[in-house]
Amino acid sequence: MHLILTDAAPIHWAFGGAAISAITLALLYIGNRRLGVSTGFENICSLVVHTSYFTRESLVSSHSWRLPLLTGLLLGGVLSALLAGGWETTWALGMFDAEFGWGNGGKLAWMFGGGLLIGFGTRLAGGCTSGHGIFGMSNLELPSVISTVSFMAAGVVTTNLIYRVIL
Amino acid sequence: MKTSPIMMLFYVGLGTVFGLVLSRSGAADYNYIQGMFLLEEFQLYGIIGTAVAVTAPGLYLLKRYGKTVTGAPIQFERKPGHRGNVFGGLLFGAGWSITGMCPGPILVNIGEGKLYAIAALAGTLVGAGAFGVLYPKLQGILRLPPLQVGTGEG
Repeated sequence: MHLILTDAAPIHWAFGGAAISAITLALLYIGNRRLGVSTGFENICSLVVHTSYFTRESLVSSHSWRLPLLTGLLLGGVLSALLAGGWETTWALGMFDAEFGWGNGGKLAWMFGGGLLIGFGTRLAGGCTSGHGIFGMSNLELPSVISTVSFMAAGVVTTNLIYRVIL
Repeated sequence: MKTSPIMMLFYVGLGTVFGLVLSRSGAADYNYIQGMFLLEEFQLYGIIGTAVAVTAPGLYLLKRYGKTVTGAPIQFERKPGHRGNVFGGLLFGAGWSITGMCPGPILVNIGEGKLYAIAALAGTLVGAGAFGVLYPKLQGILRLPPLQVGTGEG
């Protein structure tokens, strides 16, 4: 299967996994930080929402490393597109286009709805694929194993409902 | 802990490499995410499995060594256990399936030029914002940890 972005095969999974591991360990060894992306959304929220939750010290003091990390993730996507032959905007959504056939407005609504679940769910769970799935599981933390099993199970059920039951 | 401009550049650089890997490995690709959840594609299981299999011993050794590159003691918090692990995990899993993106790849997809990912980010920020605003209420209903502990920084 080809990637939507490059229309070429992805890198080998072992290389991808090893690279993510190196990034995780470098973040801890050099920055003394535990890998985690989803709290970064709270850092962004706290720039405009000033309730007690968003002004707590542990969050505000992490602006200076989480916001640069998030910026880097964005730049990594830009760099990937540039290296693939040039950056351009696209609405291509692979099998969603083939099976749903929705226009751009429908895709925006679909993505916004899914995003609500991601934002609320990751913060309620206290982490996402990186913080729970990679760092927490590697550190043998039971809450991370429970969270990871929960989000993988919900993903399997949801995708199967969408593509094997409803469509 | 203050962060120097050089360290901020380090975080931007590390994030960029992370983003590039997510982009080219399939972790930020809608089709590969659906293939994982349909149990048809091994790619993402291979990536996450390898990442954990390599990070676990690395983390064990690094904790035993106990020091960062500057000689400071390694410090990080373990995540607290609470009911949100299950309920939040279930909601997030549904959102990951719907969008084909988990948090890191939302930003990667925007960077790649995929315009619909901007709507995913907007929804995510509204969802995270709603969670924070509702925290005092949810705390009672779901018996979440006090704010000083939180649900887990991740």
